[in-house]
Amino acid sequence: MDTKIKNHLSQCRQKLENGQLQAVDLDQLEALLTTSNHRRNQTIMYLYSKSTNMRSPLSGWSIYDPYRDDEPELPSQHPPYRSVLEAVGDGWRILQFPRPENFPFSDIDNNYLAFEFILEKFT
Amino acid sequence: MLDIQPTLNDKQVFDFIHNGYIILESVVAEDFNAECLILPPGHLTDFIQSKPFRQNVLLHPEVSGVARSLLGADFTVPTSAHNHLFEHPHRGQTLHSDGLSELGYGITHLQCYYYPQAVEIEDGATMIVPGSHQRLVDREAIAHYGNISGQISITVPAGTVAMTHYGIWHKAGPKINHTRRSMIKFSFFRTQPPKRDWVRESDEPPTYQHSGRHHYVTEVESYRDRRRGEHTWNWLCGLTEYQEEYHPARMFMSGIPLSQIQL
Repeated sequence: MDTKIKNHLSQCRQKLENGQLQAVDLDQLEALLTTSNHRRNQTIMYLYSKSTNMRSPLSGWSIYDPYRDDEPELPSQHPPYRSVLEAVGDGWRILQFPRPENFPFSDIDNNYLAFEFILEKFT
Repeated sequence: MLDIQPTLNDKQVFDFIHNGYIILESVVAEDFNAECLILPPGHLTDFIQSKPFRQNVLLHPEVSGVARSLLGADFTVPTSAHNHLFEHPHRGQTLHSDGLSELGYGITHLQCYYYPQAVEIEDGATMIVPGSHQRLVDREAIAHYGNISGQISITVPAGTVAMTHYGIWHKAGPKINHTRRSMIKFSFFRTQPPKRDWVRESDEPPTYQHSGRHHYVTEVESYRDRRRGEHTWNWLCGLTEYQEEYHPARMFMSGIPLSQIQL
C-alpha cells in the first residue's frame, strides 16, 4: 500500500479513538486514493497460439497499455513470451480462451489468425 | 500496342502466389525520384498520366514486366494514384486489407507501392504480412492485431517499387522521426483471360511448388495455403475454366488498357 495512504489511515485511526475524526480527514483519504501511484492499472495482451494448447509457440501478439499507448513503438519479430503458459507464469490472467467451435474447419480457406488468447495484468 | 515483355519465370510466379508480393529495389532513376519527392499528399492524376511517370515508373521494363507476367497482355495502366505522405511521428496504421477483399483464386489486381526516397524502419516503413493475401477477412476485425511473426517492414533504397496482391494485409508502420516518407500507391488490373505466357523454360506447365510455411501459419493452415496455391497456379496457367472475376475491388479501378497507351 502507498506509504502516504498508510500514514493517513494510521492518523485517522488515532483521531477515531480520540473522537477527533472529521469529514475533511475522509476527503483527504479519498484524494490520496484517487491520485495514488499505486493505483492498479489494467493492461491487455492478445496472444495468438499455434494451437489451443497453451504450450504452443506464438504466431502473433499485441499489448494494449492505456498509460503507454500514445507512444509509437517500432515493430518487433520477438514475442514477449514463448507461449501462453509462460505468460501465465509471469502473472498474466487469461480472460478468454479460444473455443474450437469458433474455428470452423475448411479444406482450403484460411482467414483470421487462429487461437486468440486474451490476457490481463494489473500493475 | 507497346511491346512489354514478361520478366517472371515459373519459379517467380510460384513465389508470388505464395508470398503475395515482389519487391523491385532501386528500379526508378535517381533524378526522377527527386522529382517525385515534391508531390503533394493525396490523390494524384495528371502527374500519373504524364509521359515521364509512365516511362520511369508504370512502364519501366521491370515494373510492367511483372504486371505483364501476372496479369497478361493488355493489362490496364493506372491513371490515378495516391501519395501516402507522412512527415511526423505516429503510432502507425492498424493492419488492414484495402477496400473489399477479392474473391476467387485468380490474380486480377496488383497494388503497387513506389518509394521515391529510401525508407528506414524509423521512417514508418510500410509493413506487410507475407501470405496474408490468401486470407479473406473483415479489415475492421483485424485492427487489434499487433506484431505477427514473419511480418516484413519494407525498408528499401530510393526508387523501389513493391508489387502486391491486392488482398495482402498491410499498414503504415509506426514512425518515430520527422523524416518525410512518401509512398505512391497505384494498381494494375487484368483485362484478359489467363494463360501461361510469362517466361517459360518448357512448354509443359510444371506442377505447383509450395514454398513451405510462413512463420505465423499453423500446420493445417499451411496445407490450405498449398491447396489454394495450386488453384491459383492452375487458374493462371489457364488450366481451369475461366470466369471473369468482377470482384468488388474493381469499383476503385482507374486505368486504361495498355493497347491505348502511346508514349
